[in-house]
Amino acid sequence: MGNVFSSIFGKLWGGNKEIRILILGLDGAGKTTILYKMQLGEVVKTKPTIGFNVETLKYKNISINMWDLGGQTSIRPYWRCYYADTAAVIFVVDSTDKDRMDVAKKELHTMLKEDELSDSALLVFANKQDQPGAMTAAEVSKALGLAELKDRSWSIVASSAIKGEGLTEGLDWLIDVIKEEQM
Amino acid sequence: MPPSQLERRLRRFFNIPLKGENSEFRSGLVSQYPDERKDTIQRVIAAMTVGKDVSALFPDVLKNIATHDLEQKKLVYLYLMNYAKTNPELCILATNTFVQDSEDPNPLVRALAIRTMGCIRVDKMVDYLAIPLKRTLKDDNPYVRKTAAICVAKMFDLNSKMCIEQGFLDTLMDMLNDSNQMVVANAISTLLEISKMSDSNLLKMDSKITKKLLITLNECTEWGRISILTALADYDTNDSTEVDHIIDKVTPQLQHENPAVVLSAIKVIIKQLDKISNERREHLQRRLASPLCSLLSNPPEIQFVALRNIRIILERYPEMLSNDLQVFFVKYNDPLYLKLEKIDILVRLVTTDNAALLLAELREYAMEVDIEVVNRSVNAIGQLAIKIEQVSKKAVEVLYELYMNRSTYVLEQLIIVIQNILRRYPTKYLPTVITVIADLNFDDLSTPESLSSYIWILGQYCKQIPHLEDRLQTMASQFQEMDPLVQSAALTAIVKINLTKSSPKIRQILQQILNEATTKIENADVRDKAYIYWRILSTDDEKLQKKVILKKLPILESTIEKFSAPLLRQLVDEISNLGSVYYKPGAAFVRLRSGDDGAFVDNATLQSKRLEELQQMAKSEIVNNAVKAENLLDFDESAEDRQGAQEEQEEEKIEVSASSDSAANILDELSDLFSGLSTQPAKNVSSSSASPAPHNSGNHEDLLNLF
Repeated sequence: MGNVFSSIFGKLWGGNKEIRILILGLDGAGKTTILYKMQLGEVVKTKPTIGFNVETLKYKNISINMWDLGGQTSIRPYWRCYYADTAAVIFVVDSTDKDRMDVAKKELHTMLKEDELSDSALLVFANKQDQPGAMTAAEVSKALGLAELKDRSWSIVASSAIKGEGLTEGLDWLIDVIKEEQM
Repeated sequence: MPPSQLERRLRRFFNIPLKGENSEFRSGLVSQYPDERKDTIQRVIAAMTVGKDVSALFPDVLKNIATHDLEQKKLVYLYLMNYAKTNPELCILATNTFVQDSEDPNPLVRALAIRTMGCIRVDKMVDYLAIPLKRTLKDDNPYVRKTAAICVAKMFDLNSKMCIEQGFLDTLMDMLNDSNQMVVANAISTLLEISKMSDSNLLKMDSKITKKLLITLNECTEWGRISILTALADYDTNDSTEVDHIIDKVTPQLQHENPAVVLSAIKVIIKQLDKISNERREHLQRRLASPLCSLLSNPPEIQFVALRNIRIILERYPEMLSNDLQVFFVKYNDPLYLKLEKIDILVRLVTTDNAALLLAELREYAMEVDIEVVNRSVNAIGQLAIKIEQVSKKAVEVLYELYMNRSTYVLEQLIIVIQNILRRYPTKYLPTVITVIADLNFDDLSTPESLSSYIWILGQYCKQIPHLEDRLQTMASQFQEMDPLVQSAALTAIVKINLTKSSPKIRQILQQILNEATTKIENADVRDKAYIYWRILSTDDEKLQKKVILKKLPILESTIEKFSAPLLRQLVDEISNLGSVYYKPGAAFVRLRSGDDGAFVDNATLQSKRLEELQQMAKSEIVNNAVKAENLLDFDESAEDRQGAQEEQEEEKIEVSASSDSAANILDELSDLFSGLSTQPAKNVSSSSASPAPHNSGNHEDLLNLF
């Protein structure tokens, strides 16, 4: 009984409620690196994620459940298992990988058509800006056809996970949007 | 129809769950509150353990795998192990967490991860298993290493090729030198397991490993000891110092409180018994006796296993327990299976010195209520009388006393025993036997075995039996309803009596029985036997008849069953294994898979599968041929001018049915081949080629006739 009360009060005051954010994108875009850069503040050595990573981080007094899902072709079909109750999606794009921009676009739009994600905000990281030949945020936005998105708050931020550039700005924007919607 | 957005929002807003326990679980599992998630996982596991199917929650439970809460991790792992098979593709999503956990600073988590990963029997998982397995096999922590060692066997089961390629088996051999005894024991049991799975001996024992194992033995847990002892039992020692060393080190294990350890130790020592001097062997046998006896102070189920093993050992070394007869005496509260098993052992232990004691004991058992115990005791008294001549007189007296007091209980068994006793002592106890037989009628007995024994006695001792002709008359009148076993005995008896104590009445009965046996009896053996007798009797050569029919039987040596020598050899190897309880070598009741499909496959299903495949092939072949034949016939009938164009195409068809004869032969052979298996293919073909029949004539009809 005590549990029930505490959980009711917890809910009333927003207690230890967590919001879910998915980090998606093609394989090798830098999702795991972004996750751990945001959580630990350091660049970890990563291997292709078979499955997922999940970390909880406190940001501006909100605890965020960050889900980094593996981007390999074989795992992409299972993204849908994680869509439920997602507050926002962070879509990471490798800005140097011009050849697969089409694939990324296709995956992004398929994903956004999902009913369960209709309320979620979208943040796109045009990642790997530190690399030579990276497309700018505007170019990436065009390539992904972000302008076509209706009824959704979205933003694109140029980032470099290795250097840690752009991540905070992106997250700040995202949290503001979520706060607006949920609280 | 998916719920509308508005509805979902409303539901979320007011927190109304979808109906049903599963959706309640689902929303709990993806809850935004960590406590609620953990609580739900606990409830899901609870539902799982009571047998509810919660496999549908797999993806949602899986989401909770990445947690730092050890308790929650264990629960999710437990769920995964249970339901991995139902969602093989989704399992892959857990891989990342497994790999991460196998690098966790906490050794418990590392071991848990590798253990669970091995338990997930999904092919896709194997590819990702190799790297963490390799790492954990070399872990600093022995707990992780020993868990990983077992995991190698699991991996071998899933993908033996990969397991060998990655060198895991060599790593296991290296692990035998590990400083930790648990790791050594697990490496041993893994190697033994893999050897069994692959039908090869991977555990190449040498004197160095043996020494190491013997040192480790004393420090191990009981399971470890059993593995090590099993490995030692299979080791073929090279010289006597090694034998001594093994015996010295293994002997203390005989005092272990776990009966499995004791039995395994006994097995190791027994394996060495043949390699030592006679004097020493006797000494050792005496030392083995007390641990064997102390096994009987365990609960009844374990006693049963011990008794089965003891019987095998006794057959190999009959004198081992001869001083411990009393240990095996039946206790009033023993369960039935123990009583029977104990009596079995008792008759094997009996010697001239203790025979009288045992007889008195058996007499008590024969007064029990339980019919099975009574029968077994009566039988045992017979076995005793036959084995030890000195007590045979006393035994017959006891049997007679039992007959007088408890005839309804013991009669059937008694008659069988009496027959055996007569075969051992043909005349010694005849007067007593005749008094018993004199009062007996056919109606008193019902089982075929006792009836055939009774009839045998009538035939053998016809001169002493009162009212013989009346008895034979009854026998003849019931002849047709008798069991073949009894019929056979009756045939022999009447033929014998006719030769020794002929009379017109007996000749008439003989004629009647021979007539019935050769005309009205279905059983081939009885019929044949009757024909043979008839043939012999019609030779008129009485000397020959007597020589064949009245040939003296050899004196019965023992009625105690024995294992055949090769079986006994195998059974000694099976001591402390399940095979020793079944009295069958392990291979006779378990077949370890040889393919990659993970299940036990028995030969029969495999064969029937192959048969089905063959039938299918044959079916399609016959149908194809029939179609070709049809084409050819159409072509024959219709315009000749198409011939040129179709020549190439038809060439092989012509080959198939160049003349209807050759086609006929092929098809005939095929259908002959498979008609034995099933008539199905032939039928199918006939229906497929029946339709064009009216349009064609001549050789086409020949083809159809084939089917």
